[in-house]
Amino acid sequence: MMDDSAHSPRPSDETVRLDFTLNGEPRTIEVAPNAVLLDVLREQLGLGGTKKGCDHGQCGACTVHVDGLAMNSCLRLAIMCQGQQVTTIEGLAKDGQLHPVQQSFLECDAYQCGYCTPGQMMSATALLADDRIGADDASVKEAMSGNICRCGAYKNILEAIQQARVQLGHDATTPRKEDVA
Amino acid sequence: MNDLTRPRVIGQRTPRIDGEFKLTGRAGYTGELHAEGMLYGYPVPATIAHGKLEALELDEAQAMPGVVDIFHHGNFDTLHRSPNSMGHGDQVSEVRLPFEDETIHYHGQYVALVVAKTFEQARAAAYRVVARYRQASGAVPSLLGRDDEGLPIESEGSSRGDPEAAFSGAPVKIDRTYHIAAESHLQMEMHATLAEWHDGGRRLVVHESTQGVVYQRNAMARIFDLAQEDLEVISHYIGSGFGNKLFMWPHAVATAVAARRLQRPVKVVLPRQQDMMSGGNRPASRQHIRLGAGRDGRLTSVIHDSITETSLVDRYIDSCGSATPSFYACDNLAVSQRILPVNHGTPCPMRAPGEVSGIFALETAMDELAVELKMDPVELRLRNYAESDPESGLPWSSKQLDKCLQSAAERFGWDKRNPEVGSMRDGDEIIGYGMASCTWFAGRQPCQARVELRADGSLFVGCGTQDIGTGTYTIVAQTAAELTGMPLADIEVKLGESGLPSGPLSGGSMATASTLPAVAAAVRDALDALKEVATGNGGAFEGLSADDLEVGQGGLSHGEHRVSFAEVLKTNKLASVNGQGSTAPGAEQNAYSFRSFGAHFVEVRFDPGISRVRVARVVSSMDIGRAINPPAARNQVEGGIIMGIGMGLFEQLEYDPRDARLINSNVADYILPTHADAPEIDVELLDYPDFEFNEFGARGVGEIGLTGVAPAISNALYHATGKRHRDLPITIEALLASS
Amino acid sequence: MRAFAYSRADSVDHAAHRITHDAAFVAGGTTLLDLIKLDVLKPKNVVDINALPLKRVERLDDGRLRIGALVTNTDLAHHPEVKRHYPLLSQALLAGASTQLRNMATTAGNVMQRTRCPYYRDAAAACNRREPGSGCDARGGLNRLNAVLGGSDACVAVHPSDMCVAMAAIGATLTLSSADGEREVAFGDFHRLPGDTPHIEHDLADGELITAITLEPPLAPAGSYYLKLRDRASYEFALASAAAQLSLDGEMIGEARVALGGVGTKPWRCPDAEAALVGQPAQIATFERAAEIALRDATPLEHNAFKIPLARQSIVRALREATRLARDEGKQEGQV
Repeated sequence: MMDDSAHSPRPSDETVRLDFTLNGEPRTIEVAPNAVLLDVLREQLGLGGTKKGCDHGQCGACTVHVDGLAMNSCLRLAIMCQGQQVTTIEGLAKDGQLHPVQQSFLECDAYQCGYCTPGQMMSATALLADDRIGADDASVKEAMSGNICRCGAYKNILEAIQQARVQLGHDATTPRKEDVA
Repeated sequence: MNDLTRPRVIGQRTPRIDGEFKLTGRAGYTGELHAEGMLYGYPVPATIAHGKLEALELDEAQAMPGVVDIFHHGNFDTLHRSPNSMGHGDQVSEVRLPFEDETIHYHGQYVALVVAKTFEQARAAAYRVVARYRQASGAVPSLLGRDDEGLPIESEGSSRGDPEAAFSGAPVKIDRTYHIAAESHLQMEMHATLAEWHDGGRRLVVHESTQGVVYQRNAMARIFDLAQEDLEVISHYIGSGFGNKLFMWPHAVATAVAARRLQRPVKVVLPRQQDMMSGGNRPASRQHIRLGAGRDGRLTSVIHDSITETSLVDRYIDSCGSATPSFYACDNLAVSQRILPVNHGTPCPMRAPGEVSGIFALETAMDELAVELKMDPVELRLRNYAESDPESGLPWSSKQLDKCLQSAAERFGWDKRNPEVGSMRDGDEIIGYGMASCTWFAGRQPCQARVELRADGSLFVGCGTQDIGTGTYTIVAQTAAELTGMPLADIEVKLGESGLPSGPLSGGSMATASTLPAVAAAVRDALDALKEVATGNGGAFEGLSADDLEVGQGGLSHGEHRVSFAEVLKTNKLASVNGQGSTAPGAEQNAYSFRSFGAHFVEVRFDPGISRVRVARVVSSMDIGRAINPPAARNQVEGGIIMGIGMGLFEQLEYDPRDARLINSNVADYILPTHADAPEIDVELLDYPDFEFNEFGARGVGEIGLTGVAPAISNALYHATGKRHRDLPITIEALLASS
Repeated sequence: MRAFAYSRADSVDHAAHRITHDAAFVAGGTTLLDLIKLDVLKPKNVVDINALPLKRVERLDDGRLRIGALVTNTDLAHHPEVKRHYPLLSQALLAGASTQLRNMATTAGNVMQRTRCPYYRDAAAACNRREPGSGCDARGGLNRLNAVLGGSDACVAVHPSDMCVAMAAIGATLTLSSADGEREVAFGDFHRLPGDTPHIEHDLADGELITAITLEPPLAPAGSYYLKLRDRASYEFALASAAAQLSLDGEMIGEARVALGGVGTKPWRCPDAEAALVGQPAQIATFERAAEIALRDATPLEHNAFKIPLARQSIVRALREATRLARDEGKQEGQV
């Protein structure tokens, strides 16, 4: 498994092979060793829905799911996703139908400029699938705090998440499920 | 159908027509656009704030993989500066051209632009550019902490009566100085440019994240000596701007030069650090307020002297006192403005520019006066209520501030406030209630629009304005739907292209009031053309006069006889009829004063044991005329409240006092409000359409929500702690002093 | 962001062989990529250790809890053993960063986290930690975020971790592996004070990696509380934080552990303050005395003097809350 040629730095125009699953489709691409997942999505794969807002894990606009978990794609080398499932905003709607989170964002006007919005929704969908995170407003706000919205649409985003929770069949008022064994 | 006093679509909750694009990731913001053969540019910023660039060592960077070229002072094109005129629509944010000379005026000033085949290569090579500087002494790091007098700006002054005499003779006086730190717009999408030349370098297409495609087109035409027809600036989706994308910055010029020289499209997306250093800021301010009042609370004198920062390369004026002359009824008033050049990137308008700072000072001072008088702060404001505009002497077109104060106070529960400092407690926390009034001027710009009614049953509206997230796409479609009775789904709106009829900047809360009248005029013009077709030879209503026809539900009708627009066109084998609209402010400007008003009531909770303050609740009422799309308008106010919490408690650009370097140019160290900081918010939009202002009755809503939030927080903190906070942001260190 | 070579290690041994002065391990990547992009770290080789079998959390026979180096902050915070026996650690982890970053960041990576000193993070500034001998721009600069405890003339950078503050209070041992085998280091000895050599941040040699962290057995019955004070409500590094843990003997304090974050150049255990608590009545006056003692040697810089009273406040409040919880715990034990 260890590639001994890696002891000396490769010139940066060389690439390495990445096999992963992107929005449900198996993909094999060549990436620069220092290419970051966010830039590969936006510049190499033409998936501009994942946004760059700070490039340092400080704003959350770049949030994607890696094996189902919300992560900052700006702080992850693309090559680290070898063998993993990556889902971006482009993979959220299925068969032309908006995901319930997208639908509730639309109905609740949970955005303004729309730039942080894909990241907000990726965090929201991961949160709604994670029973370790409480369903009450305070827990949702805390769990969403890694997604900055400078337009300040926080009130409507919270409302949209709780509305989607109901649509997804979770009761917004249920106290958090303890995962203590 | 033409009567907008009883609309069916205008004023109704309308999901955004661009929503699905934004929510599925398909909306193309500038930074993610691609062009055939595109190269990537990465700017190299100066690491000093004051001095000279002595040498650039480029060999190592030039030899890096993928590097195509490096642009800098030694090899840059000779260009013209933009005339930089607001009146001629070619204003820029920084008039100095990139790489113009080797003097460094601020930290982050571009010293080179590396262009390479990939983003990674451009960035890697930019890090290998070695710049050698000679640092000069005497950098001015900030207005704050200095007592410079700066340069007077006579144009921003105002006076009436004898304010000095009235102040010295006043039975009650407030004489205080307020400071506000420089802020960053921190719009989520960084500045970005994609420049592409066509026709052998004769025609330039620029994609830019901008609040003003027409302004940038005009400025670039002058800079590159191109005819306006040979230049197009496009901005379909904008990751907001808050003012720093109103006028072009030098990165766009550098990008266009690189694209011309390399004969390839070039894209530059500013890294966040550079965006914060060189892409605009709200300048710091120092304000001196003197209020004189009688024992009855009536103001006898208001004197408001302000100084704000500008850069060494431009004269930016953040006019803090511009709302003050109109705020309260007072016969004696003086407002003055000065600026101080500092070693920062050039400041620029930031949401409610000037007024938000001025209102912090004025509304905090009013709270101090209320305390001095032992008078309820709401009552003090009502006692000094300006029934007409004391500045112009004109009547207000519509002013409902008294209703805002009453309604918000009631919903907030202001009557439960015990005015005694620190008297309201809940466990570890002291509860503070505070309030402030707010205002923003209502302005209009000239605007043109074009409409096509098409035989395929659709309607197209085009206007060279932008939707920066406020919902302009949707309200334009609502307008066309209102006037035609067509469903929103059949209406196509195109904005954000300089080739469209000239539209306004998306700024100053002016876009709605400027754009919709022009759109309405264009729709009516198209409908007139359609009626002419319908009543002419071979038309669906041949022989009738246009006045006989009714418009509704996407068709024309006469009595029971109804024909859809599409059928009217098809009957005459026409693909479309077109309409033009061109509108501008008119005689009403000399008859009335136009302003929006509002009130914020804030509950803070201060835990003295751990020096922690949180804004728990904000209740606001806004008098903005009519809201075209109420949820989107309310969203603007709610967002302004969040930004006001940032301004009040967190936000400050920090420049090293030794050398004026900006040390917190990132989204972690520049503290913004998060989800967890969002309080319970209750915003009410009063519905008093301002038909003196325009037929829609809308005054705009982008800025006003931000004004008044910070003073309401500061006033609430005084109520909780008894300590008056006159400097923003109110940091934990300042709070410690009150625990 | 400079170019580097990338490779994957599939065993601890391989990883240890790979690591040299110009190489860096990547696990979560949250610190490494951040600092490579800032041109602060410039590794020529990046070795991905995510395939190593270091993702288990297990209770040892002696009552201690062994945490694999690659357990993510999220998984650790929500692990049943941690929530039940080390709620202090769970709270501290959840007080740190954001959901996304906690999903990425690992236990060992958190230990190896770099300072947030703005001058360290600015490649153009003078910083002895980043570039030995270059000077310290923080001392005479904007040092609001810097340390009041453990600083030296050469460096006043804060260790930014929340997790480590809880671990310092709980007590732990790091397992370091290299080609020569394993060795153990007490948690309190791992991070170094800056002294004259701030660039040597910890007791990890070339060719070594952290493979596990083993927590001391939990105090029981005890109450604990992690309190983080910062400008905004979430997603910000601490200006001051306190991890407090104590057991009660009636109204008297039995054992006590106190550590501070956001104020020290390393995760800051406060043994003298602990000594001042043991055997004393569990009341505010006692906590205030302990807080005074904990900050006795604090030295403010121009812009961070507020951290001293703030840290005292964090200790007092955290001890008060820990006491309240210990009483609740005691009542529950009594009922059993």
